Amino acid sequence: MSLIQTFIPIVQLTWFDPERLPVFVASVVAIAIVLFTTYSRSSRERFKIRKIAGMDAVEDAIGRATEMARPVLFTPGWGGDIQRPTTIASMNFLSHIASKTGSYDCQLLYPTHDPVIMTVAQEVIKEAYARAGYADRYQENNVSYVSSSQFGYAAAVDGMLTRTKPASVFLLGTFEAESLILAETGNSIGAIQIAGTDSTIQLSFFIVACDYTLIGEELFAASGYLSKDPSILASVRAQDLLKLLIGLFLIVAVLAATIGNLTDINTGDWWLF
Amino acid sequence: MDRRLALIACFVFGLLMFAQYFSRHPLARSVNLAILEYWQIIFAFTLLVGVASFFRNSLSAMRNRGERPYRMVGLAGLIAMPVLAIIWGIRADTPFMWMFENVQAPMQSTVFALLAFFVASASYRGFRARSLQAAILLGAAAIILLSRSQLGGAFSDVVTPVADWIRNYPSMSARRAILIGIGLGSLTTSLRVILGIERTWLGGKQ
Amino acid sequence: MKRIESRHWIFIGLFLLIAAVMLLGVELNINPSSETQKMYDYIENLPPGSTLMISFDHEASSLPEIRPVALAILRHAFSKGHKLVGLALFAEGTVIGYRLMDRVATEYGLEYGRDYAYLGFKPQYIAAILSMGESIQETFPEDYLGRSIDEIPLMNGIYNYDQIGGVISIADGSLTTHWMEYGAARYNVDILAGVTAAMVTTYDPYLASNQMQALVGGLRGAAEYERLTGRRGGGSRGMLAQTTSHLYVLLLILLGNIAFIRSRRKGNN
Repeated sequence: MSLIQTFIPIVQLTWFDPERLPVFVASVVAIAIVLFTTYSRSSRERFKIRKIAGMDAVEDAIGRATEMARPVLFTPGWGGDIQRPTTIASMNFLSHIASKTGSYDCQLLYPTHDPVIMTVAQEVIKEAYARAGYADRYQENNVSYVSSSQFGYAAAVDGMLTRTKPASVFLLGTFEAESLILAETGNSIGAIQIAGTDSTIQLSFFIVACDYTLIGEELFAASGYLSKDPSILASVRAQDLLKLLIGLFLIVAVLAATIGNLTDINTGDWWLF
Repeated sequence: MDRRLALIACFVFGLLMFAQYFSRHPLARSVNLAILEYWQIIFAFTLLVGVASFFRNSLSAMRNRGERPYRMVGLAGLIAMPVLAIIWGIRADTPFMWMFENVQAPMQSTVFALLAFFVASASYRGFRARSLQAAILLGAAAIILLSRSQLGGAFSDVVTPVADWIRNYPSMSARRAILIGIGLGSLTTSLRVILGIERTWLGGKQ
Repeated sequence: MKRIESRHWIFIGLFLLIAAVMLLGVELNINPSSETQKMYDYIENLPPGSTLMISFDHEASSLPEIRPVALAILRHAFSKGHKLVGLALFAEGTVIGYRLMDRVATEYGLEYGRDYAYLGFKPQYIAAILSMGESIQETFPEDYLGRSIDEIPLMNGIYNYDQIGGVISIADGSLTTHWMEYGAARYNVDILAGVTAAMVTTYDPYLASNQMQALVGGLRGAAEYERLTGRRGGGSRGMLAQTTSHLYVLLLILLGNIAFIRSRRKGNN
């Protein structure tokens, strides 16, 4: 008997859909863990994040662009919009990079495919420049909407790369088929490239064409590491705890299914929810 | 104050969308539908912000002689397509459709096709057997490539099952692990946004 | 004039090779994969007259690759007497989808409104997918041709995904993932897909866990489907070019490694 069938007779409320009970329980557990790691002082104090290759290179990449008197180009890819968590993680990165480029008086270009991302990026960069004490160096035109069309965006960013020849390129966000076009063009102009995405298929392209690649959730962890924001670091810890729970669940489910298949013991199919 | 209002709105709507997911009640369904409708309307209006920005940026960049030709082509496209659509409509055999099929589609296909060229050059440059791990990766890539080709005969009979095994076991387990990590990352980030801990989307931390 | 770099020679080689092979016009025999077979079986085994939703979730850029996939699936579905409801979640896919459906429907002498309908484009794909789960009529009050949805006979009795046999997403990106995350996970509708070759492995985990019912991937998938339906098309025609370009890439990898080993030996000496 599945988990849902077990609980349906128990939870017969008009307002609550009993079929969604497993999702509800999982959500409550996840929320509790995130809240605990975020607000519990002891949890926050005992926590250190491992070094991720590429994070140290951020400083070098911006320094290189400053020395060469060339711009830094940051683009969040075509696949995401502002509600996508990857885009939000990339904004933390952007904030860190913008405060550095502001301090070093290095031009930061930010082309995007989404008007809302553009508006948020303008605010993030403006505030980062102000935080660095160089609000006057902020130029709104450097943050631009280019096209909502995938290959219109790819062509526009490609053109920008070949014309402005940035010394450092940050490809951090959600990318689709445009990833290799941008990364290869960046490679051909000799830019140091740091990439990170949640699109598993594009990771293989970035690994081949870029100097450093943040794989999946490393992007979320790295944004916390760079910003040094304790709440973001706490959520990285929450992710680890949840991963541990999922791992345990998988092991127990696999064992139960295997025992059920190999012996006469009825282990049920409670994991099928 | 304006940021506090945005944070309150984010919290209320985040909670509302979370709660309605667990309900089949007609009221919950109609609230869901209404919010989704507003989402679509707001999205359509954001495009105006993008168009205005593109226009302003292009005009300002035209002061630079090197940028001028590119910006002129961009602006011409931005103006021409809506004008054609307004005057003759967007049905078959209109000038808008002619432009779409004979200018826009081939140009976009060309950029997409560049991918094949970049795959070729990246393979030549990047796929090197520098270590044992890299050599294994190289071998797996070669098998997958051959399996997606059609060489026929006994060769395909051997290569295809091996390629399927690579896709279904080592590759898929790695992909699933990455997907679980991304899912959890998304979950925690979304929670931070709803609870107002994460404020980067408002432009900063203050 | 700028010096021609090695990558430029690679590009020229690939272009000449593909152009030459395309001129040959040779068609290869393709054995259907299990994923393509699943799509064929799914459509084949649906009771005649079932309603399928087909969503054109792509842009104009991928048309050469996506058109053979879409045509093969549309021909099969129409030939089995299924009713098709088309829509697009990317603006550029709107007119492409309509033309493809119209073309195939004309081939089979089918009538708009009775055998098929086209709802048009809806912005913000996540909201659109979720919204159709509540009410298709509220999401698309009018069809692509400007007709009220209540006046379309095919749409009588179709309120949400509960009345739809399955959704086929024809996509060149990850939009199909949203169909699974929001359409399948939330409203329990079956999701099937026809996608570009580059996206195939993205969906492997979903296929294995049955979150996606079937997948036709790229030119090869189209060629396989054409073989199953017995009607040759763009997929079969393009397979020789694809096979040749794959072999070209393999040759480049081999050459790159020879150059790498030689340079390493020189370095050691």
